Amino acid sequence: MQSDEQLIKQAQAGNAEAFECLLDSYYDTIFRFAFKWCGSREDAEDVAQQACIKLARSLGQFRFESNFSSWLYRLVINCAKDWQKSQARHQSDSPNTDADQTIDVPYKDEPDKPILIRQLLHSLEHFADGMKETVLLVHAEGFTHAEVATILGVKESTISWRLHEVRKKFQSQFGQDI
Amino acid sequence: MKDDQSPDSLEKLLSDMDSPPSDKNAKKRAMNLAMAEFNQQHNVKNSVKRNIEKNNKKNTQGFSFLPRPISNFLTASRMSIMKALNNKLFYSGVATLSVAVMGTLIFQQTYQAPIDPTSMTVDESVHLEEQPLSFAEKKKELGRESKDQARLRAEVEKRIATTAPVVSEPELFEITSDTSQIQPLVQSAAPVKNKRLNTEAGAAASVEIKADSQKLLAISSSPIQAPDILPPQGYNEEGRDKFESVEANPIKLVSEEPVSTFSIDVDTASYSFVRRQLNQGVFPQKSAVRIEEMVNYFDYNYPLAETKAEPFKPSITVQPSPWNSGKKLVHIGVKGYDIPRAEQPRSNLVLLLDVSGSMNSADKLPLVKQSMSMLLDTLHPEDTIAIAVYAGAAGQVLAPTPAKDKQTILNALNRLNAGGSTAGGQGIKLAYQLAEANFNKEAVNRIILATDGDFNVGIRNSEELKGFVERKREQGVFLSVLGFGQGNYNDQLMQALAQNGNGIAAYIDSVREAQKVLIDEATSTLFPIAKDVKIQVEFNPSTVSEYRLVGYETRHLNREDFNNDKVDAGDIGAGHTVTAIYEITPKGAGVSQSIDSLRYQDGATKAVQIDAPVSSAISEYGFVKVRYKLPTSDKSTLISQAISTDQVATKELAQEAEFAGAVAGFAQLLKGGKYLNNYGYDDVISAAQANKGADIFGYRTEFIQLVRSAKTASLIK
Repeated sequence: MQSDEQLIKQAQAGNAEAFECLLDSYYDTIFRFAFKWCGSREDAEDVAQQACIKLARSLGQFRFESNFSSWLYRLVINCAKDWQKSQARHQSDSPNTDADQTIDVPYKDEPDKPILIRQLLHSLEHFADGMKETVLLVHAEGFTHAEVATILGVKESTISWRLHEVRKKFQSQFGQDI
Repeated sequence: MKDDQSPDSLEKLLSDMDSPPSDKNAKKRAMNLAMAEFNQQHNVKNSVKRNIEKNNKKNTQGFSFLPRPISNFLTASRMSIMKALNNKLFYSGVATLSVAVMGTLIFQQTYQAPIDPTSMTVDESVHLEEQPLSFAEKKKELGRESKDQARLRAEVEKRIATTAPVVSEPELFEITSDTSQIQPLVQSAAPVKNKRLNTEAGAAASVEIKADSQKLLAISSSPIQAPDILPPQGYNEEGRDKFESVEANPIKLVSEEPVSTFSIDVDTASYSFVRRQLNQGVFPQKSAVRIEEMVNYFDYNYPLAETKAEPFKPSITVQPSPWNSGKKLVHIGVKGYDIPRAEQPRSNLVLLLDVSGSMNSADKLPLVKQSMSMLLDTLHPEDTIAIAVYAGAAGQVLAPTPAKDKQTILNALNRLNAGGSTAGGQGIKLAYQLAEANFNKEAVNRIILATDGDFNVGIRNSEELKGFVERKREQGVFLSVLGFGQGNYNDQLMQALAQNGNGIAAYIDSVREAQKVLIDEATSTLFPIAKDVKIQVEFNPSTVSEYRLVGYETRHLNREDFNNDKVDAGDIGAGHTVTAIYEITPKGAGVSQSIDSLRYQDGATKAVQIDAPVSSAISEYGFVKVRYKLPTSDKSTLISQAISTDQVATKELAQEAEFAGAVAGFAQLLKGGKYLNNYGYDDVISAAQANKGADIFGYRTEFIQLVRSAKTASLIK
């Protein structure tokens, strides 16, 4: 097996097989994060697909200045945000309108959990820019603050501050609900 | 710790959130698309060296989701496609490009994304250094291309129509056989390399195209497969507001046409629509501005009529014209008798609500519900309400229920949801049936239609609808129209319905407007005091040379219609005010006429002058006649009053007239200001500011704000 770096370099040079290999190994990461962003399989697949296409387009711009996966996360976040914008045009604000759209994660023991998650994801969208990805990367993907800071290209202290803000907002907004 | 309740469980919730394993097919699909994109990128790059990436990116910005291709399509042959993809890098790129072009075409029909197909043209012609093809030739070729695409699309669509959404293999191969038509497209889409197109490669390309047709099929058939998707909101409903455009009333010579006749109009829809547009920073389209409706939006403090038997009296004010020195504005103001609450008749209301898919937006159905519950509060406990709705079909939601049974009515309202097409005609029929079933001779029987005016099923012909409403009107059922929403607002039909149904047309853009129409002015909205109100003005040729009626273009009547009681005209509700403004050019005193006098016709004009009685010839500008019918009567009554030249208006009347003049000036500015000389937004603002009066409800203050927005918008424009 070749290392990722070699694969990336070959793909950048136009080697389709290398690119396919790269896609194959990173698709699951992309999909997983997309799912956490959207909360539903179909949307996540759409976002992941878009991210793959975008990757094909912009791989040439990757300069090995950062970790490839950090760069990839950023790309997926951008796709997810674009998706969100396009969704906003389609749907009204209330999270209840798409109530029949299910989160197909098996939470058999806690049937209200998908609803909670959907509400949570939905309300995160209304927070300031940068909040949703910070929260997701730290809490859902389990990165450290420093890692998230590199992925998002901000200072570590900004990450801590954002998390603090979100926590505060949730306390005031949802109180006991979440 | 209390903290446990929220943040910790927030974190826990997120960290517990596990994504399901990715779907193999979805992955493959994504990878295929990405590979195709990758190949396209690298092919273009190789053939044109550099800087394409920059240009290409223009085409691919935005989030152009292709609807997800859903099918059980040939998992086995996917391998071969992949192979073909990998081996024939270039041709797959070409085919993808063709899909991109086709996709863009289809895409644009449903979605106004910032993709510019012409930028593709430019890009390619820029890249064509190796192939000396002129820009014009290139363009021609692209034109042909789109024809081919259209043919292909038609073909594919035809097939979808005849086959089930899940496409079987043989069907696909039939489509493949059509690729001969697509060949020119492939070649022209990438003329750079077409010399390499040998037969083997052609086959590969056709395999690819097969896959693409499949994609295309999936694209076009996905709406069939996913009917549960919410109807798209907003984006495809821009700029489809329908207004009738009417030429502004011209200046007329008194010597040629001394008599002007029109029907009154108490609608206010135009003002709220214009307000909404301006508040969004958009300059309203000219045809959306109806001067008389803008003027009549405001309540003017004209003297009230004392009795119900003679429900109103005209008050006439003559003032210098703000936009033409020497000319004068004649205001004819009418305020209807306001029925005291104790004397108000009962109402038999049928609410006819549009719940079609197009009403699915915050400013439509939810606002309708809110407005209707407001209306409930203004009703007498014994009034009855029935609710009918229409979408794909019409149905009764609530049988006639007394207004005191408020909860039942509210429950019925709250159950409503938007969805489906719009069988408006059918809805109107049903509403009339309901109104007639519960017809009360003592009461005001009225249908209130709330809609965005998009009637797309059933009687769609507005003439037919108008005829229907007109026949029903004679049976004593009134029809009022409340317009909602924008982007697809059919003002033309709304106006026609209300005018023919003896009702008002109002446009509700906000809760505030609902409050104004349904609560503050509830009596005028609900109780007519006079119907078929017509105004006829005869100008005195010895004092007035020209006149121009400001607004009322859609309400023009023929001179003989005035005395014909069969001719329908506008209605006045209790407490309504109506203002009509004429701009006149008085004779003499060095006032420049807009129309040159005729060289050879002088004698004829003089003859008229000689005929006129001498006493009134100098002291009057003209003579106003108003005809109206009481709501229950079929015979009209005449009120008349002269416009005297030396009339001195009371201070209050002058103030009201000047404000009305400012509004009329503003409306004309929005319409282009053909007759306004140098009159501008600032003049409107200062005149309105000076004549604001008490302005209890703040509408006049709001108007001034609106003029400021228009001024800004006009500067940007």
